[in-house]
Amino acid sequence: MTSRQRVLAALNREPVDRTPVCNPTSVATVELMDLVDAHFPDANRDAEKMARLAATSYTELGFDTIMPVFSIIQESSAVGCKIQWEEKDNWPTVRMTEPIWSEPDDIRIPADFVKHPDAKCVLDAIRILKKEFGDEVAVIGKTMGPWSMGYHCFGVERFLLMSLDDPDMTRTCLDRMKQSTIEYGIAQIEAGADALTLPDHATGDLVSGEYYERYLRDMHIEFAETLKVPIILHICGRTVDRMEFIAQTGMAAFHYDSKNNPAESMEVVAGRISLVGNINNPETLFSKGPEDVAAEVRANLDAGVQLVGPECAIPLQTSIENLKAIPRAVREWHRAA
Amino acid sequence: MASGSLIPTGSLRMAKLEDISNDFLREEVETFVTREDERENLIARYTAATPKMQAIAAGVVSARHHDVDAMTADALTTGTSALDVMDHGLIAGMALVGIKFRDMKIFVPEVLACARAMKAGMKHIEPILVASGIAPTGKVIMGTVKGDLHDIGKNLCIMMLRGAAFQVIDLGVDTSPDDFIEAVEEHGANIVGMSALLTTTMPNMAKTIEAFIDADLRDDVQFMVGGAPVTQIFADEMGADGYGDNAVECVDLAKKLSDENG
Repeated sequence: MTSRQRVLAALNREPVDRTPVCNPTSVATVELMDLVDAHFPDANRDAEKMARLAATSYTELGFDTIMPVFSIIQESSAVGCKIQWEEKDNWPTVRMTEPIWSEPDDIRIPADFVKHPDAKCVLDAIRILKKEFGDEVAVIGKTMGPWSMGYHCFGVERFLLMSLDDPDMTRTCLDRMKQSTIEYGIAQIEAGADALTLPDHATGDLVSGEYYERYLRDMHIEFAETLKVPIILHICGRTVDRMEFIAQTGMAAFHYDSKNNPAESMEVVAGRISLVGNINNPETLFSKGPEDVAAEVRANLDAGVQLVGPECAIPLQTSIENLKAIPRAVREWHRAA
Repeated sequence: MASGSLIPTGSLRMAKLEDISNDFLREEVETFVTREDERENLIARYTAATPKMQAIAAGVVSARHHDVDAMTADALTTGTSALDVMDHGLIAGMALVGIKFRDMKIFVPEVLACARAMKAGMKHIEPILVASGIAPTGKVIMGTVKGDLHDIGKNLCIMMLRGAAFQVIDLGVDTSPDDFIEAVEEHGANIVGMSALLTTTMPNMAKTIEAFIDADLRDDVQFMVGGAPVTQIFADEMGADGYGDNAVECVDLAKKLSDENG
């Protein structure tokens, strides 16, 4: 199987020759930036550099996917949020302390927002990658969900308080913001994305599992029906309490965090959705060695997780050696199995 | 000799759950507080409070900010001291909120709403405390470190610290080492809390501590650190004085450091 075939089969929970290695968020690191001379912040805004850095996931690390979107700021920039672009060794971030909206009527998704330079560069990067890697490797796009956009555009505290004080207003806001999720997703599919990551951070570190069901489950069902490629939902943090609802969405996969036990998570989703993950970033990939990385890979494989990879966008200072340990451990596990 | 003969009946009897007269508070403690020491502490705290103070505590726990506003104003005009309203009403309520949050019985939106209720009461209390020169439990400088714009974790810690009677100076996000130093010198605080959500910005915690060493101020302050990627190991390596995994631990740590400062 090619990497692309392997990933798409695993997303559909079909047989594979070996478990694919995948990071649906980001594998950009400072070492990889130096290697291909494509550094932050430019690699977040220049399609050619974005594609060059993203391709290292396949060419240097041996992963089965390429993800050209390294953060979740492209749409937010396109709708008007202020972005702190930072330097080579730090992530660009939305200035959430300077919110741009406070009421549903403030929400404006410009008709041509996918043509905004920070949105368009992702589309161009996907086209470059598809041309260069064709059917060989799975190119994954990323379109942010409305809950995450709510944090960016309303500010985290304002948005969370609104969700408690005025559920109807919150639903109205989510309903208006989802236009960006759908339009940007469709644009990336048209550019050639094989699958889409959909980050929507209704994490257990902030809100209850019941919140996910109340506000997002049905909307995520709609995304899965509307966006005609496999969708990988990404939510950081503790999520096992909402995996039952996530498994009902019809999405292809859920990218889950190391705060959730692989075996327990697999039991909850019960074959209704693939899992992707969940190697710990700060304590393992960033701070420990290849053997510790391999141990977490094996824990996921033993549990039957369909796609193995880091739990989230990896720390920029992570060593290439540790990242290469992931596909190596997967191959060794399959040889021994 | 039977020990019971030396204890006057009733006067030293440990308070029991049913002694809490406020129905809502009693049910909350019964339902949500499982650790024996915390249960005893809260029962003692609530039974020692008047029904009016229990009502204010209940208002904080149930996030009724308009009610807490009115009840606090009423208590002050009818003779309850500002310190009593703060200790037996507002802070007593936030103590239960912290436990429920730590144990994942409530989440951030609910904590934000409870903190809003506490703030509605504190707006009446603070001017009185300031005018009477009553010292806070301690003074803490808080900030998210340079290069990091995330603040929800820091803000939760600040809410809980204020809910435990600390005076907090919030430096916001993207705080440089110089900003921390300037704030410590300006406010005379001896506890500094630093937060980071990104692995890329964690090293700026260590850089801030180094800046205090370079400025010959390290011995004047104690550092507590926290944030999603931060661990006790990172905290030890960077030379911090303490690490908190959540907002409740942050308050416990601040109290410990404050006690050490005398």
